[in-house]
Amino acid sequence: MIAPLAYTKPRSLAEALELLQIAHSLPLAGGTDLLVELKKSNKRPALLVDLKGIPDLDELALTADRGLRIGANVTMNRLIESGELVSAFPALTDAAMTVGTDQIRNRATVGGNLCHASPSADLAPPLFVLDTQLVVASLQGERRIPISALWQGAKQNTLQPGELIVQIEVPWPGAAAKMAFLKKMRTAGHDLALVNMAGLLDPVQGRCRICIGGCACTPVLLPGTDTLYQESRDPDQLTARLLALAEATIVPIDDVRASARYRREIVAVFLQRLLKLLAVETKGWGRC
Amino acid sequence: MLNPLEQTIISLQLRVNGLPVQEDVPAQMTLLEFLRQRLRLTGAKEGCGSGECGACTVLLDGRPVNACLVLAAEANDAEIRTIEGEARDGRLTPLQQAFIEHGAIQCGFCTSGMVLSAQALLERNPHPGREEIVEAIAGHLCRCTGYVQIVEAIESVAGKGS
Amino acid sequence: METRQNLRFVGHTTARKDGVAKVTGSAQFVHDMALPGMLYGKLVRSPHASARIVRIDTQAAEAMPGVRAVLVGGELNAKIGLYVRDKDILARDFVRYQGEAVAAVAATEEWIAEEACRAIRVEYEVLPPVLDPRQAMQPDAPLVHPDLEQYHCLKGVFCPQPKTNIAHQQKIRKGNVVDGFAQSDLVVETRFYSPPVQHVALETHTCIAQALPGDKVEIWSSAQSPFTLRNLFSLCFGLAQQDVRVHVPYVGGGFGGKAGIHLEPLAYALSRKAGGRPVKLLMSREEEFNTMPSRQGLFSHYKTGVSKEGKILALQIEYYWDAGAYADYGVNVGRAAAYSGAGPYQIPACKIDSFVVYTNKVFGTAYRGFGHLEVLWGIERNMDILACRLGLDPVEFRLRNVLMPGDTTITGEPITEHTGRPDFCLKQVAEAIHWQGWQSEEQRIRARSQGVARGKGVALLHKAPAMPPATSSAVLLKFNENGSVDLLTSIIDYGQGTYTAMAQAAAEELKIPLEKVNVPWDSDTAFTPYDWQTVASRGAFMGCRAVIAAAQDALRQIKETASQVLRCSVEDLVCENEMVSLAHRPDIRLAYADLVMGYVYPNGNAIGGPVIGFGRYIAQGLTHLDPETGQGLPALDWTYGAHGVEIEVDLATGDIKILQLATSLDVGQVLNPQALRGQVIGGVVQGIGSALYEELQFSPQGELLNPGLLDYKIPTARDLPESMQQSYVLTKQPDGPYGARGVAEHPMISVPSAIGNALYDALGLDFFQLPLNAERVCLALQQGGNEMPR
Ligand SMILES: Cc1cc2nc3c(=O)[nH]c(=O)nc-3n(C[C@H](O)[C@H](O)[C@H](O)COP(=O)(O)OP(=O)(O)OC[C@H]3O[C@@H](n4cnc5c(N)ncnc54)[C@H](O)[C@@H]3O)c2cc1C
Ligand code: FES
Ligand code: FES
Repeated sequence: MIAPLAYTKPRSLAEALELLQIAHSLPLAGGTDLLVELKKSNKRPALLVDLKGIPDLDELALTADRGLRIGANVTMNRLIESGELVSAFPALTDAAMTVGTDQIRNRATVGGNLCHASPSADLAPPLFVLDTQLVVASLQGERRIPISALWQGAKQNTLQPGELIVQIEVPWPGAAAKMAFLKKMRTAGHDLALVNMAGLLDPVQGRCRICIGGCACTPVLLPGTDTLYQESRDPDQLTARLLALAEATIVPIDDVRASARYRREIVAVFLQRLLKLLAVETKGWGRC
Repeated sequence: MLNPLEQTIISLQLRVNGLPVQEDVPAQMTLLEFLRQRLRLTGAKEGCGSGECGACTVLLDGRPVNACLVLAAEANDAEIRTIEGEARDGRLTPLQQAFIEHGAIQCGFCTSGMVLSAQALLERNPHPGREEIVEAIAGHLCRCTGYVQIVEAIESVAGKGS
Repeated sequence: METRQNLRFVGHTTARKDGVAKVTGSAQFVHDMALPGMLYGKLVRSPHASARIVRIDTQAAEAMPGVRAVLVGGELNAKIGLYVRDKDILARDFVRYQGEAVAAVAATEEWIAEEACRAIRVEYEVLPPVLDPRQAMQPDAPLVHPDLEQYHCLKGVFCPQPKTNIAHQQKIRKGNVVDGFAQSDLVVETRFYSPPVQHVALETHTCIAQALPGDKVEIWSSAQSPFTLRNLFSLCFGLAQQDVRVHVPYVGGGFGGKAGIHLEPLAYALSRKAGGRPVKLLMSREEEFNTMPSRQGLFSHYKTGVSKEGKILALQIEYYWDAGAYADYGVNVGRAAAYSGAGPYQIPACKIDSFVVYTNKVFGTAYRGFGHLEVLWGIERNMDILACRLGLDPVEFRLRNVLMPGDTTITGEPITEHTGRPDFCLKQVAEAIHWQGWQSEEQRIRARSQGVARGKGVALLHKAPAMPPATSSAVLLKFNENGSVDLLTSIIDYGQGTYTAMAQAAAEELKIPLEKVNVPWDSDTAFTPYDWQTVASRGAFMGCRAVIAAAQDALRQIKETASQVLRCSVEDLVCENEMVSLAHRPDIRLAYADLVMGYVYPNGNAIGGPVIGFGRYIAQGLTHLDPETGQGLPALDWTYGAHGVEIEVDLATGDIKILQLATSLDVGQVLNPQALRGQVIGGVVQGIGSALYEELQFSPQGELLNPGLLDYKIPTARDLPESMQQSYVLTKQPDGPYGARGVAEHPMISVPSAIGNALYDALGLDFFQLPLNAERVCLALQQGGNEMPR
């Protein structure tokens, strides 16, 4: 059960930011992480500030330069169902589709997924490879941070008390870019990722991005992959070099879900599969 | 304005199974607790309290949600449907009828949630394929039936009508 | 029992009697119940697997507004237990598993009870736990129950060994294994492991108890066995049975986990302390995992001697059951799984020692299959390994050894043409999956280059109800004015469909429409007649036998009255279509409705009276097992079966996809095809959970690491085989109702073995441990094989 607390639902961003000045207040989005935490842990906020009444956080639109602007409160199902709008970002919807269950996806928001800062958050890998920027608001004003700057550690974000993510800005990767998402679960049902991975390959601009989740205390964007790709586009060579890089970069742990060894194994398998997928068209949910 | 920290009791207004409901509830009360304890609508069950089992599923503005992970306060102004509102005047819905005819029930603890998720699917998409049916009920654990007869029951309704 | 043709209800699909209540949400489970003035109970649980309780400070909790009772173990001086009374209601002095309840609170609100529990301070002296049953058998192992010899136990059946951790040792001795091994051409030793798992009934354990004036108690429980519960409860508190009343309404799944007695004594003790207000205890899912019992883990060791011709000559087995902290049903699992512990095979020389051993883990209990899934995991994998070593086809090897009429079981029970035909079941599934023998190593190598491998496997199964020799059922058929009946039973239908089957039998025998049989889902020890327990796949068998007897009794009453009215002898009357008529003059007849409340003559005279049929059934001819040799007759009926499975393995990730799963069971007679299919599919999918995913994981300190559905995964609708087939063999059980045999547990118990065997076919690697999760398969492929458990 949840311990007694206060609840309020502001109607504007300004009001919300004001309310979040109160000590021990917490933002509430879909609640699918937060309510579980409030039931299980000793986290005892005095006030929940429900963000679902704030219109700014509900936006889902294409920007002038064909990028995607996702309000922090957009739910997984809204993302998945918005068809045309997000069709240029298949890895993102593939990832959203693997989050929990239909009931969860009706509540779980993009902002909440990122702010919870789980190392295996499923939206992280696709958003990392897409060079996503986050619009962070506070009473002091707005700032933009790259998505990678949000993670401090496992389930710890770098937001200051009183700060909110308002929007998630995903630049258009260009017509030539291909992307894919893979997720390893223990059953075919719903599960948190033992390992998840997204990749983006743009032969025209010579971009190659790989992000691996669940294998460190934050999602890991492999460093220097553009250069590797530009140096050699031979699939076998690229694969081998990326494998070595991934192997050296990730620091998976043994836990109740999988051993570090198995996670390493899956990373190697996924990396090869991902590169194959990126070399051809990507279709499907990416569930694996 | 009221001191926000004093908003520990929330005045709720919502519709439940088509009827208006007005109640004061503690802010920390979940929608599931509200329905079960305050309204004595016990069709939605708590199988886990953490979003994993789907036994608590109700429809919030037409969409299936885990009532154990929604605060009652969040349902203010919402339209809630629970299993108790499905049959009208004692007449079962075609889906409820199909659950009985296809042996889609054993202990019955998962049944309310299953019926509601399937009903929401059919209202969105009257002719879903097997894949979509499986997806719609994948968030409902059933330890008894092995799911096959549940899928068949939903399919039988999906195949009918317009 | 004669078996009859032309049955109108039995053998046909009929809708469940509880369907409407369940699809409308109106079925009330204890989970849903609230009584006026009811308090909510909550537990303080031990964080340690083994510790001495130094001190418990409850002061702060007691002072909290809303708290009505705080209890610690020292206040309660009564032990509970089914076969060995080894468990305190709340831990006293020592805790024996992580999650064990050490204190409890009852308060006016649930959250107040929770807060109060948090305010209770317990000081522990942590002790080293013993976690492996084989280590627990070592002479220097810490003792989980140092005072074992002082516990009350069911003498002559179970034998806890003082100053050890052995709660029971079941011996089976048939023939001479030493000679058998000497005559064998090949002797193979194998070892297997299956881990503890949870039932995960969707309704967690819950009960409400109220202490009433005059030492009376009223209990509402989500339980499988109201009478056994009442009996154990009465013994525990020294109360008279008639003063304890147990209600069981709808139950949200049981699978064995709700047999026996669990939370009721604690709820009662809290109620007593709170001045008699009803107290509800409802386990959270986490408590369900941490505090409530599970299926026991099992290490199994086999030594098998075979002849060149593929005949098993000798089999020596040690089973080491991980009972956890308390014996509960575990000792009986160790007993039952021993008497069928060699599989459905003719074994001339067999020696089994089945040890049920205490450890510092959450305790084990009955779980669908009652030890048979665990035992068959070893037995049926062992059969494949033997066949491989002999160079024989595994189906053929099984057929050379399978029990046939004329053989005797390892407890000396003769197999007759009525016992059932495992060989037919095996042939059916082999055909269903197009079994053509193992693939060759070349085929496997070819598959490997493509990244996926396919494999097929079969496994046999058998099980008889695991129950004491004298168990019984009774049924009342109470007529209503319109000629309908209420069927009263204390068998619990927690989803299996037993009540529907019993209603079918009642309608069949009474010659009334099925709609006219009402079965209230409301067992009540004060009103519904005695039944031993709803376990062991005995419900439909014994329940229907009692229904048939009750119907005969009711018809006799109806005919007696009718014979006076019609002025004929009872022998000349027949019943059909709710009427009783003269056999030779069908037009001379009376409607049941005119008789069942007594017949009234036109002038107002009346005869007869309300018709209430009573029927009972007691298992007959069963015996205890000889403590030294295990010889005896333990089985009411045997149900045989087999699974055949085809799988596809992702060689890179280790994921198994089940392409096809065929099941054949010798059910004797199908009582309700749709209900049977539901039982089979439900069981098979539960078996898939045990095979692929499920395992309670413990830290080296004995802490349960996955106490919830987040990290304890059970199959979802996405985890089903691509196709499932069921077929049935119908060897009539002579004393079964309409020839039927028990079938509720069987569909799950050889699923893991069949999948393990298919995995061998796919990969050429033997697996010895469950579950066969992707990680295990992947790492085995990496290492080129698996070690047997040490
Ligand atoms: C059964 C189940 C299955 C799940 N499966 C998955 C899965 O497969 N993959 C996966 O990635 N996750 C999964 N999750 C986790 C969860 O659903 C997601 O992380 C979800 O996206 C969280 O979003 P939310 O809106 O519910 O967040 P909330 O719970 O409302 O919030 C999460 C955290 O973020 C903070 N927060 C929310 N919005 C903002 C904001 N705009 N600015 C600043 N802080 C904010 C909150 O204060 C809180 O600390 C699962 C959860 C459950 C219960
Ligand atoms: S109770 Fe809500 S999902 Fe299980
Ligand atoms: S019918 Fe029992 S859980 Fe689904």
